[in-house]
Amino acid sequence: MNADPAAVDPSKVEPAKVNPSAFDPTQAKLVSSCKAPGTLYCQWFDEAGNKLYGAGSDGALHVVDLSAVTEAATKKWPLHENYVTGLVKREAVFISSSYDRTLAWTDAETGVLIRRVPAHAGWIRELVMSADGQRVVTVGDDMQVKVWNAQSGEALSTLSGHASQTPEGYASALYAVAVSPNGRHIASGDRAGEVRVWDVEAGKPAASFRVSEFYTFDAQKRARAIGGIRGLAFSADGARLAISGIGQVTNVDGFVGPCRVEVWDWQGGKPIFAGNDKHQAVLNHVVFCQTAPWMIAAGGGDGGGVIAFWNQSSPMPQHLANPKGHVQSFCLDSDSRRLFTAGHEGFQIWQLG
Amino acid sequence: MWSNALDPLLRRRAFLRGTLAGAAALGSAGVSVAFDEPAAKPLAGPTKNVLFIWLAGGASQFEMWDPKPGRETGGPFRTIQTSIPGYHIGELMPKTAAMLQHVAVVRSLNTEISEHEQAADLISSGRPAEAGLEYPEIGVLLAKELTVRETLLPDYVSCFTTTEGRRRPRVGFLNAKHSPLLLEKSLRPEHLDLPAGLNESQHTSRERLREQLSSRFAARRAGAELANGYNSAFAKVRGLMQSDTLFNLEKEPEAVRLRYGKTPFGEQCLLARRLIEAGVGVVKVARGFWDSHHDNFESHRELVPDFDHVYSTLLADLHERGLLKSTLVIVLSEFGRTPVINQDVGRDHYATAWSVALAGSGVRGGTVYGKTDPDGKTVVEGQANASDLAATIYKAAGLDLHKEYQAGLRPVPLAKEDAQPIEGILA
Repeated sequence: MNADPAAVDPSKVEPAKVNPSAFDPTQAKLVSSCKAPGTLYCQWFDEAGNKLYGAGSDGALHVVDLSAVTEAATKKWPLHENYVTGLVKREAVFISSSYDRTLAWTDAETGVLIRRVPAHAGWIRELVMSADGQRVVTVGDDMQVKVWNAQSGEALSTLSGHASQTPEGYASALYAVAVSPNGRHIASGDRAGEVRVWDVEAGKPAASFRVSEFYTFDAQKRARAIGGIRGLAFSADGARLAISGIGQVTNVDGFVGPCRVEVWDWQGGKPIFAGNDKHQAVLNHVVFCQTAPWMIAAGGGDGGGVIAFWNQSSPMPQHLANPKGHVQSFCLDSDSRRLFTAGHEGFQIWQLG
Repeated sequence: MWSNALDPLLRRRAFLRGTLAGAAALGSAGVSVAFDEPAAKPLAGPTKNVLFIWLAGGASQFEMWDPKPGRETGGPFRTIQTSIPGYHIGELMPKTAAMLQHVAVVRSLNTEISEHEQAADLISSGRPAEAGLEYPEIGVLLAKELTVRETLLPDYVSCFTTTEGRRRPRVGFLNAKHSPLLLEKSLRPEHLDLPAGLNESQHTSRERLREQLSSRFAARRAGAELANGYNSAFAKVRGLMQSDTLFNLEKEPEAVRLRYGKTPFGEQCLLARRLIEAGVGVVKVARGFWDSHHDNFESHRELVPDFDHVYSTLLADLHERGLLKSTLVIVLSEFGRTPVINQDVGRDHYATAWSVALAGSGVRGGTVYGKTDPDGKTVVEGQANASDLAATIYKAAGLDLHKEYQAGLRPVPLAKEDAQPIEGILA
C-alpha cells in the first residue's frame, strides 16, 4: 500500500497506468541505502511527502527524505517500548503495532501520542490498512485477527480459529495478514501453515486450508520447527492469494531451505502456482504488482538477502536481486518503478526497470 | 509406585523383586558388565543421584536466565519476577520462576570455547582438552562414585533420542565398564526381550546351569573375584530385563504423565524421575536443538515454554516425593548465545558470558551467582570456567575434589588442580 488512502473511494481505486512492458525487474538496481539501528520490521512510503518511514527493533520511528538520501536515517521519536511490527500512515497520523501488544496512534508532525490501545494478548505480528483507509487489521500471538476503526481505534471485530499450538503441541504464532482490495475479505496465516480467509461482514471464515510445505518440523534430528506463513497478499481482483515463506528446511537451525511462494485460488481451495528457488531464504513479504503481471517477494536466510520476481510463467523466479542483508518488508511506489525495503541493514531503495 | 523412604539398596531390591532367574548372553550397549568397585569412602553429603538436563546446541541465556530487556542485545522478550526477590528471568519461564527457591543460577560462566564439539567436551568433562589423556565425563565419574555396591541397575543412564549433537558420555581413562546405558532409539533399552524360541522356563534353566558352572569354575580354577565379576554382569542383565516396569511409562498414573506432558522432553524427564526413584545414580536427558543461528526468538518461543513446563514439573515432582533433597539437577549446554542479534534474527555461539542452573541436593536454592554487564557481553562479577563448574558439581555431590585416579602412570585428581568450586551456591 503506497500513498495515503484515507480519502480514497475504494470503488474508484484502479491500478496506476503504467505500460507493463516498461516493468523489467531484471534491470532491478540498488539506488541507495540508508542505515537504521537494529532491524526494521515495517515501513511506509509517503509518496506525497517523498519520505520513507520505518520502525523495528529499537521501537522508534525512523525517516528517510528521499529527495536527499543520507547515510543514516533520522530517528524521530519512540513509538513503542518493544519491537515495532506494523506501521501505516493515515492522514497525519501514524498507526503502529508492536510486540508490546498495543496499537498506537501518533501525530505524524509532532510525535505526540494520540491513543494507545491494548490490542492483543501476545505479540502483534503485523498490521495492515484497508484500501479505503477506514480500517486497520492486526494479527497477534493470541491467534486472533482483529479489525479496528482506523480513526477512532475502536475494536470492530475479532476473528478466532487459528490453533494456538502446532501439531506437535508447541506454541504457534499468527504471522501474516492481508486485506482484499475491496475490503471484504481478510487472510491470515500461522506458523503451522494454516491459512484462513475471513468474510469480514459475516465475521466467519470463508475458507481455510493448510499449506504444509511452508512448515518444517524436524522430529528426528532437532525436535523443533521452523517456517510458517510469513507473507500474504491478495491479487487486484481479490480472487487469488499469494503466500510466502520457506519450503522444507533441511536444517531447522536456520533458514536453510528454498525460498517459496504459492498462489491459491482461495475460494476453490486449490493452489494454482508454486514458485521456489534454490536460494535458501525465508520470504517474509509478498505483493502482487498492481501494474504488471508480476509477483514480488523478499526476505533472507542462509543464502543471504533476496528479492525474487516471478511472472508466474515458471516455478523458478525470473529474476533474483540481492539486497544487503535480510529484508523484513518492502513496498512499491504507485507506478511500481521503485521498491523500498526495510530490514537488517535499514532501508534500501531499488529502481525497477 | 516406588517408596521414597527406602534406602537405595532396598529400592533396587524392590525393583528386582520377581526377577527372572535365568542367564542370557544379552549384550546391551554400554551396560557395565564387570563387578564395580565401591565408592572409596562413605559419601560426605546427602546427594545420591544426579540428573543432567543437557540443552543441546546452546540455549540462549538472554531468553532464559540472564535477560537484558530494553537493551539492543536484549531482544523482544520481557522479564518476570521470580521467587527470588529482585531476580527476574525471561517471560517464557513463568513456572520455573515460581520454583527458584530450589534453584541456584550461575550467570557468570566464561568457558571460552564456542565450537559445538569442543565446547561439549569441555563442559561435559570440566577439563580442557589435553594431548594423550582423555578425561572421563563428569557424569561417568559421578556414577562411579555415587553407585553403591549391590546395584543391579545401570549406574548411569543417558537418554539422547534426537540425533543432532548427540553425545555418548565418554569414560576416558576409566574402564569401559563405566559406560552408561544409552537410550537413543527410544526410552526403552534395546535387546531386553528373550531371544525368539526361548521361553522363561528355558531361560531360568540356563541360568541355573550357568550358576553351577560358574561356581565350579570359581572353586577349581579362577577364584571368587573373577566369578563374582562375571556373576555381577549377568545380574545386571537380569536387572535390565525387568525394565519393562522401570522404563515403561505406561506404569505411571495417567495424571502424572499428563502433568509432565506427552512431549518427548516431558517423557524423558518423567523417565528420569522414575530411574532416580529406583536408585539409578546418574541420569542424563538431552533436549535438542537450541542452535538458533536464524529465527532465534521463534525457536525460543517454541523451546523455552516446553523446557519451562517440564523442568518446573520435574522439580516439583522430585520435591513432593522427597527426592530433591538427595538429587542434584543440573541444566547446562555447551555454551550460550551471542549478545549480537544477527541479520537473520538469530544468535550465534557465545561462551564468554552465559548461564547454567543447579537445583536440589548440595545446592543453596534461591541463589543467583555472578553478573554480566548491562548488555550481557562480559562477566563482571563471579567469573567461573568449566573446571570451576565441574568442581562445583562434584562438591555439591559430596565428593572429595582431591581424590586421585590413576591414568596410566599419572595420578589425576577428581577436579582440575586449579578449579575453584563456586562456594556461593553450595549448601
